Amino acid sequence: MSSVSSGMIGRSTGDRIVLALTIGMAIVMMAPIAWVVALSLKDNKELMTDMNSVFHAPYTIQNYINILATSSVFRWILNSVIVSGVLTILTLVLSSLAGYGFARLNFPFRNALFVLVLLGLAVPEQAVLIARHQLFSWLKFHNTYHGLILPGLAAPFGVFLMTQYFRAIPRELDEAALLDNASRFKIFWKVLLPLTLPAQATLGIFTFLSSWNDYFWPLISGTKKEMYTLTIGIASTQTNFAQSEGLGFLMSQAVFAGAPILILYLFFQKYIVTAVSGAAVR
Amino acid sequence: MTAHIEILNVSKRYGALTVLDGLSLSIKANEFMVFLGPSGCGKSTLLRMIAGLESVDEGTISINGQRIDTLPPGKRDIAMVFQSYALYPHMTVADNMAFGLRNINMPADVISARVAEAARMLEITHLLERKPGQLSGGQRQRVAIGRAIVKEPKAFLFDEPLSNLDAALRVRTRVELAQLRNRVRSTMVFVTHDQIEAMTLADRIVVMNNRKIEQIGTPMEIYSQPASRFVATFVGSPTMNFLRVSLSNQNGFARATLPDGTELQTSIPLESIDGSEHSIGIRAEAIKRANGAAATTTGKVDVVERLGDRTLLYTRLREGSIIVAEDIGNSRVAIGDEIALSLDGMRAHLFDSSGRAWHNQEASHG
Ligand SMILES: Nc1ncnc2c1ncn2[C@@H]1O[C@H](COP(=O)(O)OP(=O)(O)OP(=O)(O)O)[C@@H](O)[C@H]1O
Ligand SMILES: [Mg+2]
Repeated sequence: MSSVSSGMIGRSTGDRIVLALTIGMAIVMMAPIAWVVALSLKDNKELMTDMNSVFHAPYTIQNYINILATSSVFRWILNSVIVSGVLTILTLVLSSLAGYGFARLNFPFRNALFVLVLLGLAVPEQAVLIARHQLFSWLKFHNTYHGLILPGLAAPFGVFLMTQYFRAIPRELDEAALLDNASRFKIFWKVLLPLTLPAQATLGIFTFLSSWNDYFWPLISGTKKEMYTLTIGIASTQTNFAQSEGLGFLMSQAVFAGAPILILYLFFQKYIVTAVSGAAVR
Repeated sequence: MTAHIEILNVSKRYGALTVLDGLSLSIKANEFMVFLGPSGCGKSTLLRMIAGLESVDEGTISINGQRIDTLPPGKRDIAMVFQSYALYPHMTVADNMAFGLRNINMPADVISARVAEAARMLEITHLLERKPGQLSGGQRQRVAIGRAIVKEPKAFLFDEPLSNLDAALRVRTRVELAQLRNRVRSTMVFVTHDQIEAMTLADRIVVMNNRKIEQIGTPMEIYSQPASRFVATFVGSPTMNFLRVSLSNQNGFARATLPDGTELQTSIPLESIDGSEHSIGIRAEAIKRANGAAATTTGKVDVVERLGDRTLLYTRLREGSIIVAEDIGNSRVAIGDEIALSLDGMRAHLFDSSGRAWHNQEASHG
């Protein structure tokens, strides 16, 4: 940001064009979000009569107060935090262990197993949904935390990412540590794992985001109100005519559900940018 | 406590590829032993087998009489400096050096004393709190050596530790290693394919080629009595000259006749020589410009290489082969000149087609 405000002096024409385009893109991206936020701050009745009222006062936070007044909303936030948090931590643990194993251990069928894991990337959730639903209802896993968490733990992308990352670490580090009297676990924990922190951050953020935003599986598995995640819970409060008579409320729900993600983004901005630009692996 | 390392009939295979074949070698306590050989000859493999980073397929390795080839690397009381240094990137220099000591639960005050002492010796005290990423190549190299020193191991293993340094730093570090060696009395095994490193640092050199040991000896033995044509070719710069010769008898000693008819008298007993298709090997320093009468052969100068202290003359002999002769630093010879050369047969070596070597009887001066 500071480099933009530092002015256009000394920039080449090419730079200016790129800058203008970037600003244009940013506006295109930001406009719907600004629109949502603006709508969420308006009275629902007023919006029904005059959409242009968005552009002027009065604004109100009544819609947000109504959300917080929904008795279960904090329970839903808690559910989302538990599901996404536990899922993220377990995914990191499992992916790191599997990645280390694939990268460093010699065991029979290692390559075949790795290919099998990669094939997991090609299986869409919809394809296994009915089978999983039946399995979970037979196991009585529906409407439990583990029912919400377990499907996400099969994380082929995480295993793949961590395997590649461990492979990129020179083996001589393991060997130096071996000569330094470190046990296998110590080499993993003290030497290799700290070097994978950027990948851990990337994977952690992606896992948390996708789990937080997930709508499909929680909708199927969590059928009781107290087991709703935030996305399901918020959606459940919508009236039949939300698009017309409760537009402001609808938009405030969207903002509310997205806020934690925004906060997360602000904290981990640096890692997300490198993750998306694919530069995470040195 | 230093290590006497005994390597007995050691072999190493990767699948169908035999990398080392029944190799035996004894490294004395406190000795500075250099493994020298061309790329891919198995030097690193042998070193890593001593360290325990590669398994031993056949044979045994013992230190001070105790078999170690079945022990895990950490239990062998050995330290290794890697070519890439292999410093832990996320730890400070101090932590890099202390890591191995902490792993054996050494008291913290002993650890910090050792780290401080090694840092002082290597002049890296001011770097102790930095991470490896904030160091130059030379500084990293010192840290890697420091990490080995603090362990006070029975033996140090070095795998081409100087090869990542630029030429000037390489020479300086080489000298420092030689100095360090006098302060840290311990067995040192050093792998290199640089013959100057080998010659300057070693007590003894193991010349390796093609799965086998070609020769073990002091630098001067390797230089002046190469055990095979391979060793003669590999050690010494410029490379030894080789010329096909026929042998005749002169009072029991071999007299070699060059392709152009020039005759060289050696002091090699003729009856000791067998094999066929003999060549004579003679270093540039044993071929000088001759003044008239002493001339043994003549040729035309193709290339003049001025090294400052001496000049190398690539000379085409009458029958077509090129030999390198040595002249004084400010030689006036120019390309195209016809010059007369005297070849010192008493400093020559004979080889047969299988590469076996015979030396002059008082072959002490190459
Ligand atoms: N893990 C491995 N699998 C298969 N072959 C290997 C392996 N490691 C080494 N080799 C082979 O063993 C031979 C010896 O390798 P080594 O690394 O010991 O050579 P070196 O003498 O150290 O060479 P350089 O001077 O290039 O380092 C080479 O031909 C190499 O290709
Ligand atoms: Mg090597």
